Amino acid sequence: MSSTEEYLEESKTYPGHKVRRPGSQVSRWFAPWKRGLGTWGFVLNRVAGLGLVLYLFLHLAVLSLLTRGQEGWDAFITLAKSPLFLLLDVVLLAGILGHGLNGLRVALIGTGLLVRWHRPLFIAVAVIAVLGLVAGALLFFSA
Amino acid sequence: MRSEYERRGGWSWITQVISGLLLIVLVGLHMIAQHFIVEGGLRTYQDVLAYVSDPVIFTLEILFLVVVTYHALLGVRSVLFDLGLSEAQERRVTQILVVIGLLTIGYGVWLSLYLIGQA
Repeated sequence: MSSTEEYLEESKTYPGHKVRRPGSQVSRWFAPWKRGLGTWGFVLNRVAGLGLVLYLFLHLAVLSLLTRGQEGWDAFITLAKSPLFLLLDVVLLAGILGHGLNGLRVALIGTGLLVRWHRPLFIAVAVIAVLGLVAGALLFFSA
Repeated sequence: MRSEYERRGGWSWITQVISGLLLIVLVGLHMIAQHFIVEGGLRTYQDVLAYVSDPVIFTLEILFLVVVTYHALLGVRSVLFDLGLSEAQERRVTQILVVIGLLTIGYGVWLSLYLIGQA
């Protein structure tokens, strides 16, 4: 049985589930112009989410420098305060704000609480994210 | 569009929402405590030891580690499931992610306890 047939067979076990071919969901990420704000939010959440997963494991790996004692860690601290690292911190903050606030929006709509307000909610979330990012960036570079 | 979450009975979607809401608080606390209120934005080695030795901070950071690892790997699982895997492949993906998650949490707890031992 090919993987496509397996998938179609498997999909029958989920009542009401529309049969799709493998990969179709992924290709949709890259064609959001065909859809509305919700899809932009979906794409943003996935891309930012995967970026944050990568960051999480990088962050945990870097923390292993602490096992090398004061010298190993404090040398890294000096490097981490360089402008390039601060710029990467701003990118990180953008990812956290984007994913976190957009996730909150998805939760509010997905649980049925603010479905009717999805458009103003999207705009509110975007405005808060941008303001938070600007404030955070100013804080990073002034510290 | 809820994709994979919706068609799997919803448990993964609900727990992803709950862990996500918890993370908004925990990430906020982590960022404020570790970076925003620290002079220069990052703790020196001695400061890290003192910080992680505080029982309240230790508990919060471990809770953060557990919740963020769960949320991150459940998200990866959802992305991988959307590739259109067979049921056997999905089970294997889940098993591998559980192992990665446990190793990650184990590493974080070990590192924290090691640092407390150095304080």
